[in-house]
Amino acid sequence: MIFARIWHLLGGKRRRPTSTHMFRQAQRLRDEGRLQDANDLVEAALRREPGNVVGHLLAGSLHMALRETGQARTSFERVLALDATQPRALLGLARIALEEGETAACRDLLTKALTRYPDFPEARALLEIARGLTVDASSKRAATPNGALRTERLRLPAECREAMFMQSDASLVFAEPRGPRSEAVAAGAVKLARVATAMLERAGFGPLRHAVIEGAAETTYVRADDTALLTLAFDHDVKAETAVAHLERVWGSCRSEIA
Amino acid sequence: MSTAAVARPALGRDLRGMLAELLKLEHVVGGLIVAPDGLAIAADLPREVQAEALSALAATLGRELELRGPQRRLGTFPMAQFSSVSGAAFIVSTPIGFIVLLGEPSADGDSIRAALRKMVGNVYRAWTG
Repeated sequence: MIFARIWHLLGGKRRRPTSTHMFRQAQRLRDEGRLQDANDLVEAALRREPGNVVGHLLAGSLHMALRETGQARTSFERVLALDATQPRALLGLARIALEEGETAACRDLLTKALTRYPDFPEARALLEIARGLTVDASSKRAATPNGALRTERLRLPAECREAMFMQSDASLVFAEPRGPRSEAVAAGAVKLARVATAMLERAGFGPLRHAVIEGAAETTYVRADDTALLTLAFDHDVKAETAVAHLERVWGSCRSEIA
Repeated sequence: MSTAAVARPALGRDLRGMLAELLKLEHVVGGLIVAPDGLAIAADLPREVQAEALSALAATLGRELELRGPQRRLGTFPMAQFSSVSGAAFIVSTPIGFIVLLGEPSADGDSIRAALRKMVGNVYRAWTG
């Protein structure tokens, strides 16, 4: 044990780990899910070798994993300053753009990445979503006032905290209650449904039909087909069977009202 | 970094073992643990499913769910289930990333959600405790 310590001390003095070794070690830590340890190591290595593309790329990836979007963007931009078409950095920035609703920018970044590296399944999968969202935005109809669909005939359940019905292009048909952010929320729901559909289809399951999203304060039940989306939010104390029964009934009413 | 942590992963730190345990659930056909940057930490998927594309989409979906919080006043999402006619995907958020399970239509949603909740508890205790 003592010899091992002495050897370690001597070895430590003689052989300082190279930045390449540190990046490799950081990659191993990342693969174990030890994100913060990996990030600390990458930062130390980049202080030694600030122009290392792999290091900045790893830093960007780790910041994304740690939900530090601003720092991730800076790291990916540093990579592109060193290598203007680095596909992983372009993918990283495209993911940030998609998160922030900048679908046109996302699409351009992914197209650039695929031009350099066509065999890139992650980029191709995200590009399908970005293209779909861009088409939605260009073909979106004007939101209709709630009166266009007779909400009293939908008989929304009394225990429902929030209800929204929208077309698949994110045109809001009705929201109850309706507020200044209702359209943005509808766009967010459609985007979520698109990503979920893409994931289910990649898993070989086909498009989204139902979803249950547990939040901290309430549970949102979703019903969807290729043309429309309904969301009903309930308190946690409402039983799932009750909520699903309400969802199916309101869904049927919405479909017949807009038919 | 303690040597003990490397040599003997605590419950909730052995991510591959954790995923293997979840895949023993009836009618679960695959799963993955993916970091929010879209890179898979562990994956065991049906042969015909392309892991890279699914990981990228799972991370995007997970992040969308996390980011819905301030927009919809819902806070963080503990768990979500997305179903189609021929199967369902279950997704939970943890500090290290998202756990995703793929189930057949006959899969018991309650059992899967209970098992996921237990795993999420283990991950939180191991990584934030």
